Amino acid sequence: MRFNEKEMVHLSRQPSEMVAELGMRGPKKGDVVKRRLVKLVVNFLFYFKTDEEEPVGALLLEQCRVEKEDNLTFSVAFLEDAERKYLFECDSEEQCEKWIDSIIKASYEFMRRNLIFYRTEIHRLTGKDPLEQYGISDEARFQVTNGLQHSSRDASSM
Amino acid sequence: MSRRNGCRRPRTHEIIIRRARERGVTMKLNERSVAHYATCDSPPDKTGFLFKKGERNTAYHRRWFVLKGNMLFYFEERDSREPIGVIILEGCTVELCESAEEFAFAVKFDCARARVYKMAADSQAAMESWVKALSRASFDYMRLVVKELERQLEEIQEATGGGPQGRPRASKRMSKSRSSSSSSSLSTSSSSSGQKNHQDEVQLLSAGPKENGVAWSKPRPGLANGSSDGVSSCVAWEGGANGAKAPPVPPRRRGASLESPFSPGTGCFSKLHDWVKADTGEHPQGLAAKSRLHPGMFEMIITSHFS
Repeated sequence: MRFNEKEMVHLSRQPSEMVAELGMRGPKKGDVVKRRLVKLVVNFLFYFKTDEEEPVGALLLEQCRVEKEDNLTFSVAFLEDAERKYLFECDSEEQCEKWIDSIIKASYEFMRRNLIFYRTEIHRLTGKDPLEQYGISDEARFQVTNGLQHSSRDASSM
Repeated sequence: MSRRNGCRRPRTHEIIIRRARERGVTMKLNERSVAHYATCDSPPDKTGFLFKKGERNTAYHRRWFVLKGNMLFYFEERDSREPIGVIILEGCTVELCESAEEFAFAVKFDCARARVYKMAADSQAAMESWVKALSRASFDYMRLVVKELERQLEEIQEATGGGPQGRPRASKRMSKSRSSSSSSSLSTSSSSSGQKNHQDEVQLLSAGPKENGVAWSKPRPGLANGSSDGVSSCVAWEGGANGAKAPPVPPRRRGASLESPFSPGTGCFSKLHDWVKADTGEHPQGLAAKSRLHPGMFEMIITSHFS
C-alpha cells in the first residue's frame, strides 16, 4: 500500500509533548528490545533510532488496544490481530501510565467521540448547537451517527 | 506471479523489500492495520469516485476514495478489498487548481520536495464538497474543535452550576485563558450566544446534497451521563442512543497551549473561522452566512489555517 512517506517524515519532526527514549520490542517472536526514541504526533507513534533524523517507522494508532503489561511496560496491539503486541519499556511507572493515557487519547476516533459528547451536552444544556455559529453543523465528521462504532479502545489492567 | 514447477515462490519478506526499494520507501508503517482501518465497520467521513493524477503515469485514473479521519484511502475499484494507497492529511492545504481537467483540485503539503496530489471530481458540487471535507480532515483541526467545545461546556457548567443564570464570569474565564487576545474575542461572542438566539442569522453551509439535515426539536431534560436518548428526534441525532456514551473528559493539560504546532497563528478556534470576519468586518454571528463557500474565500480560510 502506498503512502506519502516524505510528508510522514516531515510530520514526525513536528514538536510533540510526548517524546522519550523507551525500550521497544516488535510483535514477532524473536524480536528483541531495542532503544528507540518514541514520539507521539497526532495519531501516529513514530520511532527513531536515537540521533537519527528519519524515523525507522510509524504506528497508526487507530483501532488499537493499549494495555499495561507490568509496572514499567505497556503494549500496543491492533484489533485485527490482538496477539501481535508491540511492547514498550519505560523508566518509571509514572512514565508508563502517562504514555498509556496519551496514546489512548491520540486517536482520531477518540476525539470524535469526545466532540459528539460535548456537542450533545452543550445542546442539551443550552438548546443550541455549538457548531452552528461556525457553520460546520452538517459536516459529516461531526454527526452523531458517525460516532457509532463497535471498535473501541481498552486500557485494561491498569 | 504464477508458480512453475520446481520454482520456489519468493518469500513474502523479499517481495516487500524489493517493492520498497522500487518505491524508494524506507520507513515502516503498520500497513495491515492502516488498511484495516480503511475497510473496517466504522463509517467513513466521505466516499466517492475521483480522478487522481498518477505519479509516473501522469494520466488521470478513476479511483474510489474513502475519507476516514485524517486519512484518505484510494481503491482501484469500489469493491476492492484493500486500498492501493493512502494519503495522510496532516499539514496540507487543499486548493482549487488550474487544470485542463474540469473540477480539479490539489492537496499540497508544506515540506521540501513534497508531492502535489491532483484530483478531479465529476461536478462542481462534488468538487466543493471534497475540498471542504479534505480541508477539515486533519487531526489538528478536530483537536481544535474538541478543545473549543470542551471550553464552551466548562463555561456553561460554571455558569449554570454556580452564579446567576446565563451570566458568564468573564474575569474568571480570562484568568484561565491561555491566549489573552483570543479569549477576549471569544468571550464576546460566546457571552452573547447564551442570551440571544442567533439561529435566524446563521445559515448552514450547503455544499452538495444535505444528508444530515440539522433540525432541533425542543430539548427534553437530558440524562446526566450525557446519553443523548432524550435530546432530539431529528436526523442529526438519530441513533444517538448508542452514539453518545460519555467519554472521559480529557484532563486539562497544565500549561498546554491552544497553539497548534502546525499553525501557531491559528491556535485560537475563533480566529480559525474569523478570517472571513476580519475581511468583511462583520459581526461573528454573521460569519456562518459569509462562510457559505465560494472558491476565493474558502482558500483564504483554509490556507490561513494550514500555512
